[in-house]
Amino acid sequence: MTTVDPITLEIVHNGLRSITDEAFIALMKSAYSTNIKERRDHSVTICDLAGRLIAQAENSLPIHLASMLGLMEKVLEKVPLADMREGDIFVANDPHVAGGTHLPDVNMAMPVFVGGRLLAFVCNIAHHADIGGMVPGSMAGGTEIYQEGLRIPVIRLFRAGVLQDDILDLLLLNVRVPMERRGDYFAQVAACRLGERRLVELAETWSPATLDAVFDEVVARTERRMRDAIGRIAPGIYTFADVMDDDGFGAHDIPIRCRIEIDGGRFHIDFTGSGAQVAGNINLKLSGTVAAVAYALKALLDPDVPNNHGVLQAIEVAVPEGTILNARFPAAVAARANTCQRVIDVVLGALAPALPDRAVGAANGANTTAVFSGTNPATGADYLYLETLGGGFGGRATKDGKDGVQVHITNTSNLPVEAIEMEYPLLVESYGLVEDSGGAGQHRGGLGLRRVVRPLGHTAVFSGQGERFAHRPWGIFGGEPGACGRFLLRKADGTTSPLPPKPSSMPVTSDQALVVETPGAGGYGEPSRRLASDVEGDRRQGKFSAAYLEQNYRR
Amino acid sequence: MSWFVGVDVGGTFTDFFAFEESTGESFVHKTPSTPDAPAEAIASGLQAVCRARGIPLDQVARLAHGTTVATNALLQRRGGTVALITTEGFRDLLEIGRQTRPHMYSLQEDHPAPVVPRERRFEVAERVLADGSVLKPLAPEAILAAVEQVRASGADACAICLLFGFLNPAHERALAEALRAAIPDLYVSLSSEVQPEFREYERLSTTVLNAYLQSVMDRYLGELGARFEEIVPGLQIGINQSSGGLMSIGRARRFPVRTALSGPAAGAVGAIHVARLARRPRVITLDMGGTSADVALIQDYRASTGFDRAVGGFPVRLPMLDINTVGAGGGSIAWFDRDGGLKVGPISAGAKPGPACYGAGGTEPTVTDANLLLGRLSPRGLLGGRMGLDREKARQAFAPLAERLGFPVERAALGVLAIVASNMVRAIRAVSVERGHDPRRFSLMPFGGAGPLHATDVARALGIREIVLPPAPGILCAQGLVVSDLKEDFVRTGRMPVETLHLDAMHGKLGELLADAEQWFIAEGIAHDDRSVELTLDMRYVGQNFELPVKLAGTDLGALDELKRLFFAVHEMSYGYSNPNDPVEVVNFRLTTKGRLPRPSEAPVATTSTGSPAAIEVRPVWFATDAPVDTPVYDRDRLRAGLVLQGPAVIEQLDATTLLYPGDRLTVDPSLNLLIELAP
Repeated sequence: MTTVDPITLEIVHNGLRSITDEAFIALMKSAYSTNIKERRDHSVTICDLAGRLIAQAENSLPIHLASMLGLMEKVLEKVPLADMREGDIFVANDPHVAGGTHLPDVNMAMPVFVGGRLLAFVCNIAHHADIGGMVPGSMAGGTEIYQEGLRIPVIRLFRAGVLQDDILDLLLLNVRVPMERRGDYFAQVAACRLGERRLVELAETWSPATLDAVFDEVVARTERRMRDAIGRIAPGIYTFADVMDDDGFGAHDIPIRCRIEIDGGRFHIDFTGSGAQVAGNINLKLSGTVAAVAYALKALLDPDVPNNHGVLQAIEVAVPEGTILNARFPAAVAARANTCQRVIDVVLGALAPALPDRAVGAANGANTTAVFSGTNPATGADYLYLETLGGGFGGRATKDGKDGVQVHITNTSNLPVEAIEMEYPLLVESYGLVEDSGGAGQHRGGLGLRRVVRPLGHTAVFSGQGERFAHRPWGIFGGEPGACGRFLLRKADGTTSPLPPKPSSMPVTSDQALVVETPGAGGYGEPSRRLASDVEGDRRQGKFSAAYLEQNYRR
Repeated sequence: MSWFVGVDVGGTFTDFFAFEESTGESFVHKTPSTPDAPAEAIASGLQAVCRARGIPLDQVARLAHGTTVATNALLQRRGGTVALITTEGFRDLLEIGRQTRPHMYSLQEDHPAPVVPRERRFEVAERVLADGSVLKPLAPEAILAAVEQVRASGADACAICLLFGFLNPAHERALAEALRAAIPDLYVSLSSEVQPEFREYERLSTTVLNAYLQSVMDRYLGELGARFEEIVPGLQIGINQSSGGLMSIGRARRFPVRTALSGPAAGAVGAIHVARLARRPRVITLDMGGTSADVALIQDYRASTGFDRAVGGFPVRLPMLDINTVGAGGGSIAWFDRDGGLKVGPISAGAKPGPACYGAGGTEPTVTDANLLLGRLSPRGLLGGRMGLDREKARQAFAPLAERLGFPVERAALGVLAIVASNMVRAIRAVSVERGHDPRRFSLMPFGGAGPLHATDVARALGIREIVLPPAPGILCAQGLVVSDLKEDFVRTGRMPVETLHLDAMHGKLGELLADAEQWFIAEGIAHDDRSVELTLDMRYVGQNFELPVKLAGTDLGALDELKRLFFAVHEMSYGYSNPNDPVEVVNFRLTTKGRLPRPSEAPVATTSTGSPAAIEVRPVWFATDAPVDTPVYDRDRLRAGLVLQGPAVIEQLDATTLLYPGDRLTVDPSLNLLIELAP
């Protein structure tokens, strides 16, 4: 077998990352879904013939790691390598049979041939604005996977370079605003082909054998690097427990528990004791739980470690089947990101005593989602606007938590207010920080966000997904918890009434407004240790009321 | 006699390039920079240069200036005290930004804190809608209250950014008028003037940075203007902008944020000038210095323009030359990552202590050390031997690295150079392939102190076949300043479908822009023959969020079908596909105006002579890992036009060293550019 020296390795690895970054940008800029074009809810990777993840675009979302692995596993299970042809493109999205994590994430994989020999796969994932199902946006409401949208098993959208029109017709008939979704499919196809072309060029420069060797080396080195970092944590058993608020269908306070065993370079995490899978759509498939654990470890130990299969090989994850973290068919999964956030919270919480200078208070712990849809009174066209909002980030060993930011598993941009109002018949009345929502501490937790949206000249339909609306994000080492989030309906007379944390298809009239408030975050360290100058800053900036400062800091 | 002078103030050196219009005579000059008193240094520098060359000061007709004062003020957070006025409900936007983290996996890293703290961010009750209509008027009491808040805050500058202020600037203007009347010495920046286009956060950030820089730049440019008024009354001064053109001092004082990336832009303009002389319309530039390398793409003698950059961690949305920077320079340090991978840069030994071979205390292996070990840099040192290099120290720095790799020192050094080249390749791919350009159709133009040493490695990795080396690679920025035109960029946002129904509205926007342009031409005193305008429409498919710039041949919109066809072609090139049946819309109308200034002639200046120059010496140079090759070394000053050299060779000049690989062929063109043809 060919071996590579560190110099060749670095240069070829550079080349692989260039390819994924280039395809990532091309996909973002040519797609139609707001989720992709403005919020970067997409990923690009290169996988080897064993389905191992070799390189991922720099800005890819951590959760997509899971879908990518799941997809490759199912592709390889279903289609022998010998049956793959140049120009084939596989498409899939189903979490139960095709390795996905929720239906709106449409996954593609394209085999790459060099000189007639299969070398690798280029893959991408993109979150489509709609994939059909009972609710516009396909993100709310279901109790089983069938209600959540169109299920796509592993199928070929292209066979040997030829578009399977019949299949595309079927895919598009089942989604809202099909012309835009067609644009998304083509953006993904273009990204596949771009990646293919570049990978062939790289292989022609360096030889396929060198690339094979680089694939092995990249993964092996990353695994070693992760294991070294794990080996520096004091050996022992670390446990933590938290709860999810609810599933929107009657299950409340769903436990998420973990037990971590560190023994030299070995990391074993067991989620036994976590709640049974629920009727609501917050269930995770196992690959999603693994992706969340991988994110948490990487963030704690070594944020710059390359994103590849080596990270996964360094961790062992055990989750009983039938639980919310390893759900069985036909569980509903659309809002699984909230559960990922909680998995990360418990991993960070468990390891906090071992890594006090890197630990953080609980962040807003949610992927607060607001979806507005309706008919634009000016044009008569249907519209769909989906947004996920950040919140507080936890207090840290050396500084306060950041206010109003996306945390952990997600890092998607907001949509500019001017873009929203140019595109949709909606008025954003305000967008700002929620005062007093950060937990007190030596270093306080960050503040949540508040956005107030009013339909213009029509009645809009609102669906939402909230978490940490009942259980506050905890502080650590004596830090106080942050505030909960909430959805409110402001009525014509100016009074507000609370909505459930997972409202589905609520009408909002043009004299009403919908208020979204996201959770803050927990503080770090005893509030009594907060510097007087920091408390003074809190006061001066108006982020905290006099009553709050008096109550928490006695000054 | 009438001299034009370009002055490029860099971190280490201030470069002068002077040119005389009637004789075509030119010279260059380098002096150490004095960051504490930049205006004085330029004035006294010019006096000294003129004295030495026997040029009377009153023969200096024009000075073009590239400045890093704004850039440094941003990087060092040394701007003014700024207050901000926003639409009610949006004062936190500056802090929220796009609600993202700069590093996906870092629990510790944040975007920098905004330059306006929350207590100086004020809201006014008013609201304009997406069609420019007013939902909530701005009441006189609200104006008064805001003025009082700004006054009480003690700010020296105020930024005003209201939602949809780019469509209907009435409220921003009313606030500005009231502020200026009430607080006469307050600097005021309006989003509708700084960058009137949609997407509020980027416009807000740009406007705030403009306000932040106003006091600093006003002071600096005021001093500069006054100082020159003393020594050369009536001197025309042009300030270089990030978009690669000059503006008057007056405009620079109003819009200082436009100078935030002016340094690299001058280099690209200089490169275009050289490209014209060499008759190479397609060039990729590689400006490599001590800590970083800037790369840009030039097509049809034009550098591509981008709009979104971060300066000092803050987003700036302005037309800027599309220049990509990577941490690859002569001082870049080679190091082992946690997984044993070998990395080069972005950490740099900088100017102090510098590479190990400088003998100033550096012990880490750097790119310059590698070049010295491989015989590529002269053991006699830099700057014609004025700056000695210690080969033994370079060897000591490389020994541990070589040992860990299990390679001889030379092979390790070659590896380090290959990695630094691959980092630059990645940066070039970002401005070429990621924008739909095939680098193999371009020539590579290296400049800066280190560019010519690394150009061949970079070119080969990209499949580029030819390298064009300007005569004075070290002062190309100053040269670029002298050949710059006066330039202004106007923009109007107006989202409308490309359909006959909207043709009047489109012409309306265009008319507004042309009127702006006319005003500017008159204000800047630009003669009719020297005027030029260029119309670009930002277009997209209905439903997309990213616009693509579509350049028109004139200022006439022409037939709409043709407009769409132009868009399809750009979409095809950028993303590899287009759908001719899908609806298209315009989002922004942009007009770039230029006032042509006299410049050095583009005719060849050199006289041809034949015969080979004698080599200064022959020294062993490592091109590959097996063994060094005895290589002749030439003095660039002695290479005449028409000369042909076959590699291997090293060509030395005062501020750069060029490497010619075995088998490659070098020709000196009539403008004294070196053209290197790479062997297949």
